[in-house]
Amino acid sequence: MSGESVPALLTEHLAKTYVLGFFRRKVRAITDVTLRVEPGEIFGLLGPNGAGKTTTLKVLLGLVRRSSGAAELLGRPVGDIRAKRRLGYLPESPYFYDYLTGRELLTFMAKLFGLSRAEGRRRAEQLLGRVGLSGSAGLALRRYSKGMLQRIGIAQALINDPELVILDEPLTGLDPLGRKDLRELIAELRGQGKTVVLSSHILSDVELLADRVAIIVKGRTVNTGPLTELLDARVVSTEVVVAGAEEGLASALSDGGHGVQRIGDAVRITISGEGEIDAVIDRVRREGASVQSVTPRKESLEDLVVRMTREAE
Amino acid sequence: MRVLSTLFAISLNTFREAVRNKVLYSLLFFAVVVIVGSLAFGALSVAEEARLTTDLGLAGMSLFSVIIAIFVGVNLVYKELERKTVYSIIPKPVHRYQFVVGKFFGMMITLAVQLAVMTAVLLVVLGLQGAPLGGAVPKMIVLILFEVMVVTAVAVFFSSFSTPFLSGLFTAGVFVVGRSVPDIQRAAGKIQHTGLGALLKTVTRVVPDLRFFYVSGAETALGHVSVHGAFPDWGYVATAGGYAVLYATLALMLASLLFSRRDFV
Repeated sequence: MSGESVPALLTEHLAKTYVLGFFRRKVRAITDVTLRVEPGEIFGLLGPNGAGKTTTLKVLLGLVRRSSGAAELLGRPVGDIRAKRRLGYLPESPYFYDYLTGRELLTFMAKLFGLSRAEGRRRAEQLLGRVGLSGSAGLALRRYSKGMLQRIGIAQALINDPELVILDEPLTGLDPLGRKDLRELIAELRGQGKTVVLSSHILSDVELLADRVAIIVKGRTVNTGPLTELLDARVVSTEVVVAGAEEGLASALSDGGHGVQRIGDAVRITISGEGEIDAVIDRVRREGASVQSVTPRKESLEDLVVRMTREAE
Repeated sequence: MRVLSTLFAISLNTFREAVRNKVLYSLLFFAVVVIVGSLAFGALSVAEEARLTTDLGLAGMSLFSVIIAIFVGVNLVYKELERKTVYSIIPKPVHRYQFVVGKFFGMMITLAVQLAVMTAVLLVVLGLQGAPLGGAVPKMIVLILFEVMVVTAVAVFFSSFSTPFLSGLFTAGVFVVGRSVPDIQRAAGKIQHTGLGALLKTVTRVVPDLRFFYVSGAETALGHVSVHGAFPDWGYVATAGGYAVLYATLALMLASLLFSRRDFV
């Protein structure tokens, strides 16, 4: 064990079965989730809706009790107050006290972490500025838009300058500019040596940020590792964009098993097999159409999640 | 110290929520109307107007404080679950019992402030009538606060595992039974050898004896108790306070235990 760093987050065969209603109906939310997140990394928790991502996070945060398995945060058992002091959390679709202003929410959260009044105010003002809400700091949260609530949620998750930040669907509700800001903020956190666990279904953003990911399907971790290892390096398809294609050509290519999609005056053809690219391009030229672009596509994170989900099913 | 500062932060936030809740102002307004309205009733009884104002005022203060305690108390924890605000608090360095107790203290600050406002109105009304302020009125108001403490703790207990509607019904039931404990004890004594007698006896042991707090008009070992005549001394008030603190502590311990076992799905 010597020489091994203490993981920022660890679960081993974690399982949770909810007992619901008067008749105590049992619902298995997660059956076997094993994760290990190292300090300083950005870790993506991925999977389809209902896979068990949020339940896993809720167990780790002490919101629900585990049925079996082990779970630790920053080397301490789940629920340990000392670990919670070093933790920041943004819940999915955050709900805060809507009678508070943005500034009041942050100073209230600072008090829960035992920060002095002066330190709490300093952190609050700093974070309000960082998430672009300085101008709305005195406004009651009930007047905030969804994107503003997401921003104040991120600010409250960082009020204690945490070592480990858990963000559940942080990009939901943000406009493209907000998403870009958040990506930059997460990159900043990485620069500061913090660990970020990111649960999201916006896979393009996770792909840009995460060092490693875990894919959860039907309550089980089906794969974990660095994106470079998990993603298939081979070209999985090639997109050919063609201008001036007649309807007959498009139909013939579609009948030939290729994906065909009309985009304005152009047609996008998706070719799965590498050996067929030349044949398709030759045919396009023969029919008098012109090739505008040829783009090889490697496996994306979205493809990977879809592949893993299908394999697990 | 950290435990206390967390409790204080949660209490202050609960108080802030109550201060910004318009429904509470409506209830407080009605209570003030009842106290001021007692002036009109007092005018009907020329010789006894101050006496009637005091009786109606204190009864109004007690009733409205209990209504507010039940109304807010049963929603205190439930609303946090319903609105999912608890999701952002529990992952913070907060024990679940601190959350329950902090909410309770916040509610008690709110009720104490409301009682202070009602007291101020009652004193103004009595002053307008030129009535002398007897020593029994401050004792009675402190006893009302103790009674409200017990009712709030009972409401928080029920709301830790039940819906606001059912918690409201249960708490109101406890209030009605609690105010009738001496009568139920007498009835149980008459039928002590029956199953019903044993049941009533058990009920009076579990339910708080609220006549302990609302003593005016009661027949006790000291004789007839009245804010206008013989009234227990401050030693009695302190004993009643001890009973209220003990009962509220037990109710909150049970509420915290139930709350700590809950899953926030």
